[in-house]
Amino acid sequence: MTDINPDKLKLDGEMESRNMDDSPIELLEKIKHEGRVWDELSEEYGVDNPDPPWRITLEATCDMLADGYWTTFNICKPKEERNPEEESQNLDAVERRWEEDQLVSQHYTDVPFPESQLLALAHTLIRRGLLNEQDLANRMAEVDRRLNSA
Amino acid sequence: MAEKHKPAPMVDEVSEFEVLEIAVRELAIEKGLFTAEDHQHWTEYMHTLGPLPAARLVAKAWLDPEYKKLAVKDGVKASLDVGIDWVNSMPTKFGTPSDYCNLRVLEDTPKLKHVVVCTLCSCYPRPILGQSPEWYRTPNYRRRLVRWPRQVLAEFGLQLPEDVEVRVEDSNQKSRFIVLPVRPEGTEGWTEDQLAEIVTRDCLIGVAVPRPGKTVNDPRPVRPAINPYKH
Repeated sequence: MTDINPDKLKLDGEMESRNMDDSPIELLEKIKHEGRVWDELSEEYGVDNPDPPWRITLEATCDMLADGYWTTFNICKPKEERNPEEESQNLDAVERRWEEDQLVSQHYTDVPFPESQLLALAHTLIRRGLLNEQDLANRMAEVDRRLNSA
Repeated sequence: MAEKHKPAPMVDEVSEFEVLEIAVRELAIEKGLFTAEDHQHWTEYMHTLGPLPAARLVAKAWLDPEYKKLAVKDGVKASLDVGIDWVNSMPTKFGTPSDYCNLRVLEDTPKLKHVVVCTLCSCYPRPILGQSPEWYRTPNYRRRLVRWPRQVLAEFGLQLPEDVEVRVEDSNQKSRFIVLPVRPEGTEGWTEDQLAEIVTRDCLIGVAVPRPGKTVNDPRPVRPAINPYKH
């Protein structure tokens, strides 16, 4: 198999036609520059685990956002009982991965994985209006206070 | 005097990335994009996944010709014998949107080598192989493997003779693949457990071949894709 996947070409065309905003996001730029990545932390603290403890929860979040699991029970419902507004809020897995590839190459090239995956997911959610940048900044401040309150 | 007990090292610092992951998840739940309960179920399920069932499938197939036939003919059915039910194991009880639900087992021969990729995104047989490695997700691997499979395998340390055909299988939303490599010499008389130990994740993707004494994956370089995505 050496031909380019026709599904990939179709996806490239569809995604490109959307002309999505590809500008950087200030909050995520700050994290990119100031955040300490797992490679650095694990080396400093002598921890062997190659992945940060949040990798699986991040994967789960991506799956939940995808067209599927979180609407599992919607899928089983007759069409008239589904909530179209909810269904429009999902984040198709293939589209998310396409955007991740693009955003990582554009903004997060120097960030290791899975930190780059996380930044790209947050970027996509903000760009699509599923999350608000200021809300996210506020929540991060709150979470940070919580985690450091012990 | 007994040696003083030392606690295992831990990262005693909260990173901004850890905070960001939690904040994104909490806001998504509050917005109703998914429920905390579903997320918890799915996370618990994901923590159970790893490459061992696929390694065991290969080891069983090496030892049992009838099982090998079943594995090649019906990977989903053969998975049941290594504890993986592609339909009912998952919290959804009917597969997942990204893993559903056709496992194909690609049998190598001395003259045929299979290797797996997902050119579209990073589809991977997670129920039987766990999380994909970083390099598998990169556009660099995905773009180049289909064009120069022999050369890319050589970069991974797998030099194949010219008379060995290399076949690349492109994963998609309906089909997932694992490679059933050729059983290596020097493993005669080995038990299933011994054999499973040398079937590493990379052997199951097809970028490595099993050999006695080799039980871990090598570190792989991750290279950027420097060209635009259409390239």
